Amino acid sequence: MLISLNWLKDYVDVQVDVTTLAERLTLAGNEVNRIHEQDVDFEGVVVAEIKGLRPLPGSTKNQIASVSAGPTVADVVTGAWNLAVGDRVPYAVPGSRLNDRRIETKSFLGVPSAGMLCSAVELGLGEDAAGILILDQGATPGEDLRRLYPRDTILELEIKSNRPDLLCHLGIAREVGALFNLSVKEPTSSKPRVADARDLVRIDAPDGCRRFVGRLVTGVTVAPSPPWMQARLRAAGVRPISNVVDITNYVMLEAGQPMHAFDYLRLKDGRVVVRRAREGEEIACLDGKARRLTSHDMVVADAERAQGVAGIIGGADSAVQKGTTEVFLEAATWEPRSIRRTARTLGLRTEASSRFEKGLSPALSLPAVDRAAALIGELAGGKQTRSTDVYPGPLKLPSIEVSGDRIERVLGVRVQPAEAAGILERLHFSIERSDGMLRARPPDFRLDCTIPEDLVEEIGRVYGYDRVPSTLPGERTPVRDLYQRQDADEIAREVLAGREVDEAVTNSLVSSTGTSEIGMPAAPRSLVRIDNPMAENRDALRRSLLPGLLEALALNARQDQPGARLFELGWGFWKQATEFVDEPRLLAIAIHIPSGGGDAASAELRALQATVATVRDRLAVASTDFRQAEASGFHPGRSAEILDGGEPIGIVGEVHPATLARLDLPGRAVAAEVLFDRLTAGGERTPQARPLPRFPGVRRDLTVVVRGKIASNDLVQVIRQLGGYTLRDISMLSEYQGPQLGAGARSLSFRLQYQADDRTLTNEEVSTVQQRIIDGLKQRFAAEVRS
Amino acid sequence: MSVNVGDLDAIGVDARRRIGTAADEAALNQLRVDLLGKKGLLTGALRGLGSVPADQRAAAGARANALKAEIENLLASRARDLQAARLETLGDEEWADMTFVPSPVRRGHLHPLTLILREVKAIFSRLGYEVALGPQVEDEFHNFEALNIPQEHPARDTMDSFYVEADHLLLRTHTSPVQIRYMQSHKPPIRIIAPGAVYRRDATDPSHASQFYQFEGLVVDHDIRLSDLKGTIEYFARSLFGPDRRIRIVGDHFPFTEPSIAAAVSCGICAGAGCRSCKGGWLEILGAGMVHPQVLRNGGVDPDHYAGFAFGAGLDRLAMLKYNVSDLRLFLENDVRFLRQF
Ligand SMILES: [Zn+2]
Repeated sequence: MLISLNWLKDYVDVQVDVTTLAERLTLAGNEVNRIHEQDVDFEGVVVAEIKGLRPLPGSTKNQIASVSAGPTVADVVTGAWNLAVGDRVPYAVPGSRLNDRRIETKSFLGVPSAGMLCSAVELGLGEDAAGILILDQGATPGEDLRRLYPRDTILELEIKSNRPDLLCHLGIAREVGALFNLSVKEPTSSKPRVADARDLVRIDAPDGCRRFVGRLVTGVTVAPSPPWMQARLRAAGVRPISNVVDITNYVMLEAGQPMHAFDYLRLKDGRVVVRRAREGEEIACLDGKARRLTSHDMVVADAERAQGVAGIIGGADSAVQKGTTEVFLEAATWEPRSIRRTARTLGLRTEASSRFEKGLSPALSLPAVDRAAALIGELAGGKQTRSTDVYPGPLKLPSIEVSGDRIERVLGVRVQPAEAAGILERLHFSIERSDGMLRARPPDFRLDCTIPEDLVEEIGRVYGYDRVPSTLPGERTPVRDLYQRQDADEIAREVLAGREVDEAVTNSLVSSTGTSEIGMPAAPRSLVRIDNPMAENRDALRRSLLPGLLEALALNARQDQPGARLFELGWGFWKQATEFVDEPRLLAIAIHIPSGGGDAASAELRALQATVATVRDRLAVASTDFRQAEASGFHPGRSAEILDGGEPIGIVGEVHPATLARLDLPGRAVAAEVLFDRLTAGGERTPQARPLPRFPGVRRDLTVVVRGKIASNDLVQVIRQLGGYTLRDISMLSEYQGPQLGAGARSLSFRLQYQADDRTLTNEEVSTVQQRIIDGLKQRFAAEVRS
Repeated sequence: MSVNVGDLDAIGVDARRRIGTAADEAALNQLRVDLLGKKGLLTGALRGLGSVPADQRAAAGARANALKAEIENLLASRARDLQAARLETLGDEEWADMTFVPSPVRRGHLHPLTLILREVKAIFSRLGYEVALGPQVEDEFHNFEALNIPQEHPARDTMDSFYVEADHLLLRTHTSPVQIRYMQSHKPPIRIIAPGAVYRRDATDPSHASQFYQFEGLVVDHDIRLSDLKGTIEYFARSLFGPDRRIRIVGDHFPFTEPSIAAAVSCGICAGAGCRSCKGGWLEILGAGMVHPQVLRNGGVDPDHYAGFAFGAGLDRLAMLKYNVSDLRLFLENDVRFLRQF
């Protein structure tokens, strides 16, 4: 909302400087985003029309504009390119002045330039320095620019959506009055004596229109509005059009009620019907576009067809134009939801719709029509003849009670009852006071106050939140909040960072095509789809974090950062049969191996498995088991399920080359994804100590050479079975493949720890068991065993 | 072997000479072995005392022991001298270029959103808050209606939503639905923060993204006042940005709080004078207010007995301010050159 300080001063005598004014308005909830002081003092700048444009010989930067500010045409060299023939522009003629700068005729590459064309910034009329300020077509060539733009200060305010009453100068004047304790002079118009013409307007859709005030003004002469009015509209960011249209806009910017003026003689049968549009009904709008409506949309129609989209935009056919003599003024109160819905479906937001959709008070419409009709009489020579006011359910204002104690209990500060009452009165509430209670009735232009808390907010924001003390909530901190376990997430992150993996956060929205096939087998195959995606490659919710991480590896490779190592701790979205979406917490790791081929990948894969096991070991105090398994998006021979109590909780493996190819990621990659809560068994488990062994144990290493796809897990299982109760621990030491072993052969080394609780184990005893294991392995796996 | 006094004298003379000329500590150690070791000269001489005639044995023994003591002294003293000489030149002999510093061991870096959330959690856990989480796929009731945002409410303008699964579910547009869910499942007193991802159909630019991060705070108890909210905001903002920062509270409007306020912290770059990074010396950090009585009721809390305050802030915005990040989009891009700065 743009507020002109000149205009504001019509209603309230602002004494303070503009910075203080802006500060107080901001503190009270009406944020002043920018103060634009028109601080350039110019003289002799006039409106000119561009008559022609041609190149400046020898220059690629500048061109010559032929401009006319009266009977003669002058050539001006300009560096701006936003000009077109017919544009009205500010022209500083030779001898004019911008602040201390005298403008003279100057020569550019031998071409004399008679003065200059000005940008908004040069005139202090805006921030735009890129081009020449293009004036509206209503500006008359030769007119002094100072008449179009009197020196003014413009405040750019951000009005909250619950206060449509502040989208006008009078509304802001009332706020200023309340904040600085100043009286407000409201504009008045005398009540006209006109015939009540009920047949003028029929409301067929009363649920969409709360009030409709119509008035007929005859004998009007359409012409430009006076310069002072044009200047005010320009200051508020509205382009002047003609006296009648400008008056409706002026009244809206003054008191907040949007209005529309129809050329009455163009309304079929001379009457207005307020109804829902017929499905598919078309209307040619004021902005030159035709729009197709639905049966949800409200229209203002004549006997035949829609002449305006209610509360949003008028129709072109009945628009007031040169030659219009009879004007039908409309000031209605439209149902906000209906307006918002229509504006949204049409993709059209106007000054009117943005006010109506916030819920305007029906009390505004009659005074607005009175004011506009009076101004038309004054400025366009019209006479008010017939009037109608359809207002079936008049406004009932609530009476709200609040006690001084309640105010103190909400704000935490004691506001004296007299002060609280004074604030509300300055905000135009009517107040009754009786022992500690305030009974307040809001002014008829405000619909946003209904409960005591609303009154407290009014009191608080005017009293000043800076005067509220700073305290902390009482001392009854709930004890349960103090039992804080160590955060498993943070521990896992530290472990991963220690393994040289960087943390990533990727988008939850992914492509339903792309690499979405990768993920753990437990994840449902189908993705949760977005009904209204913004981009094709963000049309589903991720079921796995891996596509995002792999994309990040590819992005880094493209940025000349090959070999990225990333992890993410985040949420997946798993579609359930019942249209319910499960959101599992997932930990995923992805590592790019730009060179080194299968051997390098194999080594990274081992390291990755160790990393997963380390996180689990750190948090759950448990070992991690893997089971050879194939999974979508992974290398068919190089992936395994991660197990918890025999159940798969995740996947680890090398990424399938086809997946990498789709990402354009050269080299290889390994990745893992696991259900985080299962991996960590829900959080940090407290370790439980066991007594130290009282007798020495025996450690034996065992090397097994196997051929083909034999999983170490199977060997370990056999070793464990045959090892008996004295075999306490088996760990995998190393894996070796090499020419000495022959093709397809691998040697696997294990370390076996033997221990008895009641005696020192003898070498003979252990050797017997060890031999049993060796025989078993040879027999079951055709293995060669060395110990 | 028999030993006579002359032999001892000869050993003594030879030992004194060799000790005095030992070139280094290794040579001296060898000499100690030669003289005093199991097969050393003096050891042998002492062993030979048994063959000395009884009347001379005592005298010879005394001589031999005196000689042994003397040699041990000489060895020790020579060792001290040699060590001192060696230490004198140690710096030259074992000089290493200590300014050639290899890169530190590569470590993984945690994401700035993780780091800022850690700080936020730490601050609020000192005030007794616990962390609550809620689903990202929400229903309209929790995301909108229970927060006083019915269909076609103007507040929905700023929260254009992604709908999933035939319109009846959506991606939450703010973390506020956690307020409702938590009140529905917990009795007051309540003191939580609820961090997480939120989604809006906003066009992407340096300060907007369709996925960003917020955290919500909710306190419900008897006798909760706006002054408590103000104090909490000040404590939080000064803990995060430094005790010298000033906090400004202004009026605002949210459908789910009444009264509503917004908080800004004084700019750290211009110290409040106004600069390109701030708005008139202030940086907006959060929106807040006293929980609307109807919202308390929607959460199953009786507004006649309890009151509450709530606040919400952008985690990414806080991270941008605190870590001097100029573009929001960097957070989800995962360029390691960015990640490794944290
Ligand atoms: Zn600043």
